[in-house]
Parts: sequence; structure tokens; C-alpha cells
Amino acid sequence: MRRYVARRVAALVATLFFVSALVFVVIRVLPGDPAALIMGTEGSREATERLRESMGLNRPLPVQYLEWLGGALRGDLGRSIQYDLPVGELILTRLPVTLPLALLAATFMVAVAVPLGLYAATHHRRAGDYLAMVVSQLGISIPQFWSGLLLILLFSVTLGWVRSGGFDGWSAGLWPALRSLLLPAVALGLFQAAVLVRATRSAVLDVLREDYVRTARAKGVSERLVVGKHTFRNALIPIVTVAGLQLGQLMAGAIVLESVFALPGLGRLALGAISARDLPVVQGVTLFVASGIVVINFVVDLAYGFLDPRIRYE
Amino acid sequence: MTRRALLAALGAAVVLVGGVGAGAQAPPRLVVQAPTEPPGLDLTATPASATAAVVFYNVQEGLVKIDRHGKLVPSLAERWHTSDNRNYTFFLRKGVRFHNGRELKAADVKYVFERAMNPETKHPYRRDYDAIGDIIVKDDSTITFALKSLNANFLHNVARQGSVIYPREAVETMKSHPVGTGPFRFEEWVRGDRIVLVRNPDYHVKGLPRLDRVTFRFIADPNAVLAALKAGDVDASLFGLGPEHVQDVQRDARFQVIVGDTTNDVILAMNNSRKPYSDVRVRRALTHGINKQDVLKGAMFGLGKVLGTNVDPLNPFYLDLAKAVPYDPAAGRKLLAEAGYPNGFDTVLKVAPQYYYTVRSGEVIAENLKKIGVNVKIEQIEWGQWLARVFRESDFDLTIIGHAEAWDIKNYANPKYYFRYDSAKFQDLFARSEVTLDDTARRALFGQMQKLMVEDAPVVWLYMHPRLAVAKQGAQGLWKDLPVPAADMSEVGWATR
Repeated sequence: MRRYVARRVAALVATLFFVSALVFVVIRVLPGDPAALIMGTEGSREATERLRESMGLNRPLPVQYLEWLGGALRGDLGRSIQYDLPVGELILTRLPVTLPLALLAATFMVAVAVPLGLYAATHHRRAGDYLAMVVSQLGISIPQFWSGLLLILLFSVTLGWVRSGGFDGWSAGLWPALRSLLLPAVALGLFQAAVLVRATRSAVLDVLREDYVRTARAKGVSERLVVGKHTFRNALIPIVTVAGLQLGQLMAGAIVLESVFALPGLGRLALGAISARDLPVVQGVTLFVASGIVVINFVVDLAYGFLDPRIRYE
Repeated sequence: MTRRALLAALGAAVVLVGGVGAGAQAPPRLVVQAPTEPPGLDLTATPASATAAVVFYNVQEGLVKIDRHGKLVPSLAERWHTSDNRNYTFFLRKGVRFHNGRELKAADVKYVFERAMNPETKHPYRRDYDAIGDIIVKDDSTITFALKSLNANFLHNVARQGSVIYPREAVETMKSHPVGTGPFRFEEWVRGDRIVLVRNPDYHVKGLPRLDRVTFRFIADPNAVLAALKAGDVDASLFGLGPEHVQDVQRDARFQVIVGDTTNDVILAMNNSRKPYSDVRVRRALTHGINKQDVLKGAMFGLGKVLGTNVDPLNPFYLDLAKAVPYDPAAGRKLLAEAGYPNGFDTVLKVAPQYYYTVRSGEVIAENLKKIGVNVKIEQIEWGQWLARVFRESDFDLTIIGHAEAWDIKNYANPKYYFRYDSAKFQDLFARSEVTLDDTARRALFGQMQKLMVEDAPVVWLYMHPRLAVAKQGAQGLWKDLPVPAADMSEVGWATR
């Protein structure tokens, strides 16, 4: 187990290194630099050139990268070009928006998808199953920005229950903050739930066809026990795998929904930073998110051993 | 209209009564939507209009000001004087205090301009101060600028966003915390969400500002803006909505729609240094081949005004040359044949979808130009790429963009500007206009420049982008036209609240 963890940590470091180098190169290969974007069409060529120089953008790429890497290893992710604030601080101020948003969305996803998938599988080829599949197909097909707008239209414009967007921070109180995050979390979770419903259904269906399920039924075990004890736990491995991947994808969805709901989260920070070519921020957020995803995968792997004692990490 | 007039009258009545019962009302606040977050709040470091929208006129002011009618009026200088157009003396208002409590003195003005002229500072408009020779502080409230040469734009340059007056002790922090003398003090900037300004109780104009608090909330998506307006989360949208959204709001009695003029000229730029656009006949052919009314209808639902040159209707020297080169595909085809393109040619139009109107205008223009045999392939590129490829490197055939700055006719006198128009005659006229102070003579020069622009057709001037603002009924004092890209909140208030 210890060797397994050590291997995973080494893989994590290698992944992060690779991701940071890739992002660095990709952003630099894109035409356009922060100085030109700040100056726009109004600033003179000369002023833009001077700004470029003062930002240190005229130095060779490898030098810039190594400098950044050195800082990152010491925990210093650099300073945002756009905001003139430490990147670490920026990420920390955005986290209280994105993290609860992702958690709420994940909770919504699991709470809706797993029961619905179970229901569909246990009612295979009956009306309920078809209905669940139609609903999940709709969920997959509807783009998140659109479902977000529809939710705003209904719950804030028509009913006036929640705000249409924006976030005043947790200091404004638990309920006002939650009210700002509920709609985007539902919009975000909806799509992910739609995918997970299908995964749950097919995983459960697979297990339901196993011999030991037939045996259990033959010896007169109640259907509730068959599904709850013999089927569900054995179906969990693929479900957990998909759910883990979905958690990673929540981040991509957050970029879209934070824009629709005007939330000052990590996704919007990343989006703004890419358009402004604010490289230190793009690098910082990417590293942060990549670490998060690697950690989630790690937790998922550990969960396998817990769910299926036959799995050993040697 | 009658409803608005009624509200305005009511508002006036409230002001006349002198705020009787004001204590019982909620403190007047305004939440304004802004489409883009500023890349820093230092007007001496960035020319971004997103920065100007928040800071210019609201937090920081200049010696003189361009008002809502485009007129030059006193601001921090209560008056100014020149006898020879070489020495300008400004008399500062007495008792004006910066937001940090310190009194504004002539030495502050000297510091601000010397800093702007210093190349080390990286001021985006340093060239605008080239004419300044000496800055002499006569006493605490009198200062004289001695110019090296005549400069017809001197006062305009002093009125610009880059010429705002700030205390020297705030220089280091202006990027995130601007300090000035304006009607509002900067309160906070929640990155990614909002900027809050609060009333400056010591403002030097009595009775202003009318609002206690102005919040700029950043919402980029127009649909989200509409939802926020309709849900009552924002009170006004000053820049973020397109014509299709405005039409939707116009049917809603809760809102007023403000359609006005701006200095934003939308042009189809041709690369004058690249074939076939190096031939004036081709450029004129394209001008004949584009139905500007169609473009205006297709891109802006008919809002805005068709342009004939880069001098817009808000400019005092504006000549209406919109019909000087009429839509005439036959004339266009003839000119193309003369230039050696009887069968037309293929060309690429690069547009940045960040500005929706560029793509829409491009689609109409591509249809139009088919009729004269020019096949336009539209290529959409991201804004950062547009700035790098098109604007900096002039790597393009055709492009569409709005030029928002006032008095930007100067770009046509710069042969290195991205569309590479190089006319010695124009450059000479422009240089003369820069040192001609007599109004009649200067007007005549501007007239000649505009006519030469029509002749040379370096670009196709399409239309003036309209100001499209939406506010809740009852909000008063918002500018109708935008002679400068600013969002002056000093006179904004609520009629009945």
C-alpha cells in the first residue's frame, strides 16, 4: 500500500509538471500578449512595447518558465498581470465560490442520478425506465448555459425566489450565499446527473444478470435485499469511476455557468485570464485544478479497495 | 415619452423642494452592469475603456472636462486663459480635496503632467504631451503650461482620461485603488464580481453627486444581463446590450432605453499596403459595392448612423458625406475591371466575435460584395489574435472593427497604422490642422481632410455604433450621447424613490 501511494504521488508530480509545461507553451504559442491586450487599439505601438518589456515578456521563454517553476516549487505562483495580486491569493479568494458550487452540484448529481438509475434498472423496459432514459437524454442534450438561463428565467425573473446572478460572499450570511449558488449548482449538476443515471442503470443491470443474483432470488431473498445488498454494492465500482470522472468535468462546466450566473469563481478567473493572456493565473489555476483532479482519481482508486476487498494495491 | 417627461418633472420638483422627506427614503443607490472587468484601475497606465467607464469622471477628473454635449467645460480648473495659444494658464478651484483629505494644489498638477511626459512612466498617451515645454507653478492655485509649439489639441489632451489629476502619494496603489477628487470615492473591488464607489461628501460641485453608492457589476453574457435587469438585480446596463436585446426591453414599461450617438466609428479596413487594396480603384469599388444601410439594418437593427468618413456626427467639424460614394454595384464592377479585376477576386475578412457587430456586419458585406465579383471568406479569430495579427502586424486583407476614440482622424496620418494608409497630402493637411488654432481655418482643413478621405477611400466607413443603454424608469441624469467613452455618474439620481 505504501509503495502504491508513493507511486501515485510520483505520478502526480510528473502530471503537474507536464501540465504546467504544456499550458506554458500553448499560451505562448497563441498570438497576442498581455501588453497588447491591455493597450487595445488605443495605446501606441511604443507604449505597448514598453509595457511588454516591463512585464518581462521579452526574456527568453525557457528563462521565464524556469523562473515560474522555481517560484511554484517554493509555493509562490507568481503575480497576476491583470489584477496585480499574488496568484495564490486570487485562487484562495475564488475557492469559496467554486468549491461549494462543485460540492452542491456533486451532491445534486449523486442524489438524483443514483436513485433514478437504480429505479430505471429495477424497472427495466417498463414505463419508468423509458421515462428515466428520456429525461437523462434530455439532460445530456441540453447545453448547460441554456439550462442555466431557463432556470434564471423561471426562478429569478418570473418567481423572484433567488438572485439572477452574482455573489456577495459568505460574509453576507449562509442563506444569501446559498441562494446565489443553488441555481448554478442545479444547472451544473443536471448535466452530470444525466450521464451518471445511465452509468448507474447499466452497471446495476449488469449485476442483476449475475448468477449470484439469480441464486439469491431463488432462495427467496426479498427483492429489497437483492438490490440493496447483493446488487448495488457490486455495481458501485463502475458508478464510482464515472462519478469520479464527472467530478473532474464539473470544473469545465463551472467555467460556463460561472459566466452565465456572473459568479466570481475559479472558472471565470481562468476564462478571463486566458482572454487577457494572464499567464501566471492560467498556470496557477490549471495546476490547482489538475492537482484536484489527480487527488479525486486517487481517492476513487482507494475507494475500489474499500468497495471490493479483492482489489489490492501491490 | 410623456411618462419620462412626467418623471423628469417629478424629479425636478423633488430637487426644488430641497429633499424634503429625503430622510425617510432609502439611500439612493445604483447598480450598473459592465460587460468587462477593467485590467487595472490606473488611467495613467491603461487606455482600456473598461477602466475609464468606472474611474474617469467618477473617481478622478481632469483640469477641464468634455461634457455630455461634447463641450469643453471647467472642471478642476475653474477657468483658463491664453493670449498667444502658447502659454495656457489654469486657475484651480480653491478648497478642492483629494479623497485622502489633502488639498489639491498646483504642484500636484505639475507632478501629474511631468510624470505623464516621463518615458519611464509608460503612460499610454505620452505623445499627447509632446508639445508641453515648461510647467510653471505661479502659486498654489495657478499654473501655466508653456508650449514648445502651437497645438490645436492641447486643451482636448488636458481633458482626456490620461490627464486626470491624482495625489502623488497614491501613485503606487492606483492600479487597484484609485484616488482622485471626483464625486465618488473608490470603496472596493471584488475581483471577478464588482467595483463599489461611494459618495464623496466633500465634492467640489455643490449638490452632487446625487447617489450614495454606485456598484459596477461585471456580467459579460447579454442574456444574463437581460435576466439581471428583469429580475431587478441591476438598475442599468450602459454598454453591454446589443440592438436585439434593446428591442426586447423597449416593450417593457419598467425600463427606459437610451439610444444616442457615440464616437465609435465602425469601419471595414482594407490593407492599403497589400494587393489588390493598394489600388485606389479597388478600394473605391468596394465602397460602391457595400450597401451601408443594409449593413446597419443587418448588424444593428437600423440603430446608429451611416458614416461617410472617420469624422463622426459628434465632432464639431463633421461633414455629412455618408452619400458621397453611393451604393452602386455597377460602378463598383466597372472600377474593378479598370483595375484589372474584371472577374473580381477572392479575399479574406478577419473578424473578432468578441465584438458581435463585426461578424454580423461582415456577413452582410460578404453578400453585398458577391454582386461585384468579390468573394469574401469570413475568418473569425479571437481578440488577442486579432490584436497581434491584424492590429500589430497588419497581416490581413479586410477586417471590421469599431474605433471608439474621439478625434481619431490622426490615425490616417500615421502610415504605420494597421491599415497602412500612406498619403503625403493627408499627412500634410493633418499636420497643418494640428497647429491651426483659428476655428474657421481649422474647420476648412478638416473639411479638406474629409473630402480627401472620400477620394482615397483607405477604408470603408460603415456606421457610427449607437449608444444603447437601458435603465429602470426613474433613473435620471444618464448621458444620452457619448462624446467621450465614459460613464459619468455625477448627475445621476432617482426621480421618485
